[in-house]
Amino acid sequence: MKKLLMAVCSTVFLLGSAPAFSAGNELVWGDTLPKGLDPHVVYDVPMQVFMLNTYDGLYRYTGNPPELTPWLAESHTVSDDGRTWQFKLRAGITFHDGSPLTADDVAYSFQRLLTMGKGPSGALKPVLKAENVSKVDDLTVQFKLDRAYAPFLATMPLVSIVNQDLLKANEKDGDFGAAWLASNEAGSGAYALDAKTYRPQELADLYRNKNHFYGWDDNKKPIDVVRAHPVQETSTRVLALLRGDVHATDGYLPTDQVTRVEKADGVHVRKDESMRIMIIRMNNKRAPFDNLNFRKCVSHAFQYKGFISVVLKDLVARNPGPIPGNLWGVPKDVAGYNYDPDKAKQYCDAAKAEGAPLDRELEIHIQSALDQTTQSAQLLQQGLAELGVKVKLVASTWANLTSQAGSAETTPDMWVHWVSTYFVDPENWIGQMYDSDFQGTWKASSWYQNDDVDRMLREARSKTEQSERAKLYSAAYRQIVEDAADIWIYNTVVLRGVSDRIEGMKFSPVGSGAEFRWMSLKD
Amino acid sequence: MLLFVARRLLLILPILLGLLLLTFLMLRFGGGDPAAALAGDNATPEQIAQIREDLGLNQPIIVQFWDYLKDAVRGDFGVSAYSNRSVGLDIAQKLPATLELTFAALMIATVLGIFFGTLAGVYRNSVFDYLVRVISVTGLATASFWFAIMLQLVFAMEFDILPLRGRLPTGMEAPGTITGLYLIDALLHGRLDAFWEAFRHLVLPAVTISLGGLATIARFTRSAVIASMQSEFATYEQAVGYPRRRVVFPYVLRNSLVTPVTQVGLLFGAFVSNAVAVEAVFDWPGLGSYLVEAIFTSDYQAVLAVTLVIGAIYGVVNILVDLTHGLLDTRVAERM
Repeated sequence: MKKLLMAVCSTVFLLGSAPAFSAGNELVWGDTLPKGLDPHVVYDVPMQVFMLNTYDGLYRYTGNPPELTPWLAESHTVSDDGRTWQFKLRAGITFHDGSPLTADDVAYSFQRLLTMGKGPSGALKPVLKAENVSKVDDLTVQFKLDRAYAPFLATMPLVSIVNQDLLKANEKDGDFGAAWLASNEAGSGAYALDAKTYRPQELADLYRNKNHFYGWDDNKKPIDVVRAHPVQETSTRVLALLRGDVHATDGYLPTDQVTRVEKADGVHVRKDESMRIMIIRMNNKRAPFDNLNFRKCVSHAFQYKGFISVVLKDLVARNPGPIPGNLWGVPKDVAGYNYDPDKAKQYCDAAKAEGAPLDRELEIHIQSALDQTTQSAQLLQQGLAELGVKVKLVASTWANLTSQAGSAETTPDMWVHWVSTYFVDPENWIGQMYDSDFQGTWKASSWYQNDDVDRMLREARSKTEQSERAKLYSAAYRQIVEDAADIWIYNTVVLRGVSDRIEGMKFSPVGSGAEFRWMSLKD
Repeated sequence: MLLFVARRLLLILPILLGLLLLTFLMLRFGGGDPAAALAGDNATPEQIAQIREDLGLNQPIIVQFWDYLKDAVRGDFGVSAYSNRSVGLDIAQKLPATLELTFAALMIATVLGIFFGTLAGVYRNSVFDYLVRVISVTGLATASFWFAIMLQLVFAMEFDILPLRGRLPTGMEAPGTITGLYLIDALLHGRLDAFWEAFRHLVLPAVTISLGGLATIARFTRSAVIASMQSEFATYEQAVGYPRRRVVFPYVLRNSLVTPVTQVGLLFGAFVSNAVAVEAVFDWPGLGSYLVEAIFTSDYQAVLAVTLVIGAIYGVVNILVDLTHGLLDTRVAERM
């Protein structure tokens, strides 16, 4: 029957399929592309991948756990008061168009980012003004911060250095060349974009930059062409991998697809612990969440083990607090909360006795496109229902939720999201999530307020010694967990389906292992 | 006839205005504002406020709508808040893909639907008629998302005779843009390799989208053919000895086509909405996927522009359907 059908189909379509891509030294990458290509406008996980491959920064994160590696800069100095930073550039670096990369380009890049005020600028804006970035000489650039800010160095990989002359030549109405750069590239990275074949969110062809400053000695057979060709739908993405249409999927394979890929020939699943924590936020300013006992009740009503082991098949790591477990600053003895209906009931009873209004129906907002937000919300709904607390699931989108987080009145009772690695410092998580100065941003949407925690987080920000900072973060961590500000669930393991032909892949939480310069393809 | 077309085109304008206003209000009152998401993941509240002001989101709603309308009338759909690219340019790149897919599906549904519907009507209560009825009910009940995956599993994975996704193989250069429809552009450039690949890539998504429409058209055609076959003129023609084939094709069929052709106009709207899911499964880089992404990110400019464009195309397709009525029935043509 199968042969007959095959014969009929073959006759109908005259001949068999063409190869999906040339079998040469060409990689087809099936992960998402950023919406626009300007690294000073868009900053998300897909952009991290584009930036890592086509641009260079002063420093770069490498390895796991990530280490700050001097990249365009060969060294830096910082003044005793922690406010003046100078970076010395390597000599002889060129952009893709062959023009030299100098301190002028570095200063322009930071000024452009800070003036436009989009993308990753939020990490720098509180401490750095555009006019305080200046060139000292052709290979030295200087930053004068408003105040000492220890995570400053950790934010350096966020800023891509762009070709000043190229952007100025494409500037329209003082837009810093932003309209042009949305579909082009002006970097010096290991790969260069072919703007002629670029189709937004559909295809980006990247060609190896043989003159990249880092050289290619450590990779005997580097990939010459990368065709970034995203696959939108999970099912199609996996089929495309199994069929050989793409060499790699995205890094968020659903658990059911992990088994499917693992059983197939010629492909496997890479599992790398990242730094992306999943959280159910609670609006600490709104009753009944303003009651500590109620927050503890909710924290004990969530089935952590059930979610992690049954739903996610142990493909993530339990993370009991507001810093990823594989980063410094985490007090290892803090176990966090566990599912305990008896304790939950005791805390709920105590909250009720204190007058917390547990009768009203609570809302938990989920992100419609992300299944895990629904699954976790349903588990919590079930856990609280057993205690007589009603919870309603409300479907929403990331754009809506981040906009609602602008004030305590509009922030939902609870919502589910992740905090990814934008820069590798506890400041990226605990610092920006629980310092009350950040209230009004989505990261601080639990509206948690504790003066001691504020003091510790601000002090940690101003100190330069990591050991001193770690003590402060640990203390703040303990207090925040004790206050049950949110429900911290797990730290992500990146699950990426990859072809067995890929060799040399190096994982780092920033960019999720998609730095093509280390990779090669087996024949 | 020209007056009719001009009148109908003018009538589209208030419809589009209403559509735009409705979409604008739904987005503004139900969708939040994109400033926070746009400001990036480490943004300060001041930055978010600044972006809100830059985008004009602090203005009264009526002022925002008026500003948008003024620009849209000039053909300026603004810039995507996220990508900084011109929304008009994005649509110009993505619309041909959706049109190519939708028209291919419409063609499959119309040709096969009328063919099977006519045969089922002529051979009423035969095995063939029952078969068409079963298939058409199944076609209407089948979720296109599921059907798409089934087609992929059979034709791309199991037998490997059709591609899994996309409009062309990865790495194949697209034919130069003239219409944006790859089949036509490939022919115009003499690129037979690209034509063949574009055709192969089109088959599965077009068949998926056409399924529901094919069933609808087959059912309407069947009913209309049965009614015509029972009418006096058909009985008379058969009585005077015309062969059945001659009765059916020039006379019965022509009288039966008005209803299914009306369906074609209505189906176009259904096909475009169906394309949202089907484009995602087959990675078809059209307006459907673009719209979904824009909705999820509250990219207002993009959502409004796509709504407007789809509304305008829907209006034009329905004018064409009315004109086809005129060709099929001279009485209708006289009233135009």
